[in-house]
Amino acid sequence: MNTIVLIEIGKILIPIIQIFGIYVIFFGHLSPGGGFAGGTIIGTSLILYRIIFGNKKAAKKLGFKRLMRLTCGSLIFYGVLKGYSFITGGAHIHAPQISLGSPGSILSGGYILPLNIAVGIVVAITIYFLFCLFYEGEI
Amino acid sequence: MDVAKNFPLVIILILFIGAFIMPLLKNKIYNKAFSLMTIGISSVLSLITLVYVNRYGTFLYRVGHWDSPWGIELSIGILEAIMSLLLTSVAFVISWYSVYTIEKEIKDNKVCFYYTLINILVGALLGIVYTNDLFNAFVFIEVSAIAACGIIVVKDKKENIKATLKYLILSSVGSGLVLMGIAFIYSITGNLNMTFINKELSQTFMAYENSILISLGLFTIGLGIKSAMYPLHVWLPDAHSNAPSTSSAMLSALVLKAYVIFYIKILYRMFGEEIISQFPILLFMVLILGSLGMIMGSILAILQKDIKRVIAYSSVAQMGYIFFGIGLGNTIGLVSTFFHILNHAIIKSALFLTVGSMIEKTGQKKLFALKGIGKEMPITLGLFTVSALSMVGIPILPGFISKFNFAIGSIKGGKSIFVVVILISSLLNALYYFPIVINGYFGEENLEGKVFKSKEKTIKELMPILVLIIAALILGASSNKIIEMISNGVEVF
Amino acid sequence: MEKLLTNYYETASIILFGVGFVTLLLHSNLIKKIIGMNIMDTAIFLFFISKGYIYGKEAPIIRGVHKGIQGYINPVPTALMLTGIVVAVSITAFALALTIKLYEKYGTVELDEIMRIRGE
Repeated sequence: MNTIVLIEIGKILIPIIQIFGIYVIFFGHLSPGGGFAGGTIIGTSLILYRIIFGNKKAAKKLGFKRLMRLTCGSLIFYGVLKGYSFITGGAHIHAPQISLGSPGSILSGGYILPLNIAVGIVVAITIYFLFCLFYEGEI
Repeated sequence: MDVAKNFPLVIILILFIGAFIMPLLKNKIYNKAFSLMTIGISSVLSLITLVYVNRYGTFLYRVGHWDSPWGIELSIGILEAIMSLLLTSVAFVISWYSVYTIEKEIKDNKVCFYYTLINILVGALLGIVYTNDLFNAFVFIEVSAIAACGIIVVKDKKENIKATLKYLILSSVGSGLVLMGIAFIYSITGNLNMTFINKELSQTFMAYENSILISLGLFTIGLGIKSAMYPLHVWLPDAHSNAPSTSSAMLSALVLKAYVIFYIKILYRMFGEEIISQFPILLFMVLILGSLGMIMGSILAILQKDIKRVIAYSSVAQMGYIFFGIGLGNTIGLVSTFFHILNHAIIKSALFLTVGSMIEKTGQKKLFALKGIGKEMPITLGLFTVSALSMVGIPILPGFISKFNFAIGSIKGGKSIFVVVILISSLLNALYYFPIVINGYFGEENLEGKVFKSKEKTIKELMPILVLIIAALILGASSNKIIEMISNGVEVF
Repeated sequence: MEKLLTNYYETASIILFGVGFVTLLLHSNLIKKIIGMNIMDTAIFLFFISKGYIYGKEAPIIRGVHKGIQGYINPVPTALMLTGIVVAVSITAFALALTIKLYEKYGTVELDEIMRIRGE
């Protein structure tokens, strides 16, 4: 898998896919898309990286421990943020909330944007892990 | 004391967030301590919730900023509080036991994931118990199914993978049927909140009799698969006998029960007694399948040669009792179902843990190889004997009380013939538990060449099982109060 | 018969559900079983989403002017099924991973052969 054509096209294609994925995540509250869809797109770019550059280089950049830490971190972030929102809502506490912003701009929709980002990270890494599991048997 | 209203949600959050902190911890010991701490905190919070509910009555809790028909709602009454206390405290004791033994059954690098899965499983089960929203319950059911499969397959043996796959496929059939049932209900009522569905249905059920019957059937079969109703139990013996012994205890004692609670909620909170009484065939079917399970589960248990499979089949029989109580369709039936759930959760986890330590020390799973175990491990077999006696239904122990209540329920419900079924099933129970005990303690040739107390575990490691047995004794001794509390809970369910 | 044709969404999804269910239960090949599971789930999604669809209405995304409640379909079933799809994907992935492990250990994905190997 070491042909120059693959590598050069990969170098161009992977950033574009990732930017598209990030766009889908960031506009999830304004248009169709969101954390799950955008995360899957970013996940495919990671898979492409692994196919093109081989698993040694991929393991250096996308090590199991680092990705695991990132996933757990985003899950904890999601849990804490959403839990804060749930409890302040359920107990009728008027604690400060993330402001709703003006409709139509990126910084709107309150909690949806940060939560979408967390979901996107988790989904991207999970898709990558699943691929590795099916492709090579181990992560 | 209004703070206590937040506790159910806080418990779920602690368990889920804690689950994902665990893979970040470097040392196994921190992992174990952290898991014990989160489950311990949640059982303390459940206890406080129970006290609060007992004093101030049932309360509804909205999750997030939306009121009930739109947002998700938790509903906590006495029964839910009792169940959550049971789930968290039994899970606490089981994971306390697993602290000493888990490395012997699974690989070292899997330990942190094991505790992650335990936390997710307990959290999801609590979610099923608390929630008042159908779709939320469905999501929790799927989460608990994946986590339950995870704690079976963590052992990474041939048989485990096969058993897990069987369990996963059958349980996804079950959850598919449940989702279809939810779709029918949603298309009739346009609601997902159980209380609101009940309101809608009580006005319009005459127009949609067929749809209601279909969705009742779908819920019964779907949750029946998940909680091992008799002819649908085929996944249970494999899954429970191959899993690590702490996982078996968890699966058998807790996972099966949460689905039953959800089923009772669907029957009595969502459809309501009025609609259920329109379809007597349904409860009659549940009654018949329950009694079949009681007898066939015990007969199949007698035929087994592997000690863990005996106990797994005994679970089928005991789930039969639980469905029998639901099928009776009167208050006493329900009360004794709940009491039996408490009793079975405690006793069955004690049984699995004692058997687990026997297997761990001797390395033998077959019944004939465990003869004379009473001389080598007298205390362990003693604990096993007490739990077995309770299963059979010897007075004072909680098993007797729940069986007695089932009998009273069937007489009061005008189904006296089923008392015979209870008696036969108890006798069959004795037939497969007593040989283990008798061959363990007595018999010249059985005890030959065995050294007294040679394989006994230290008292520190036996402590969790002892706690379970003491809890069972307390449950038996204070059964009047507990049954009174449960019947108060059933009235406002 | 006429009722079946007017409610063609429901008819189609129940037929699909039956196909998936039978595939799941009767085939001994594990991959086919998983495909059956997916067909079954998809049938439920079709059933659920068709319950929320109203003929001639738009998807509930506001572009420019808000048309009032009458202008849009019911978004709740769609949102629920999005969750359902995620759950189904994760169950499928888990089942496939287990199938790979099973293939490594037994060398086959046919359930009846696995049963026979275990019996020996």
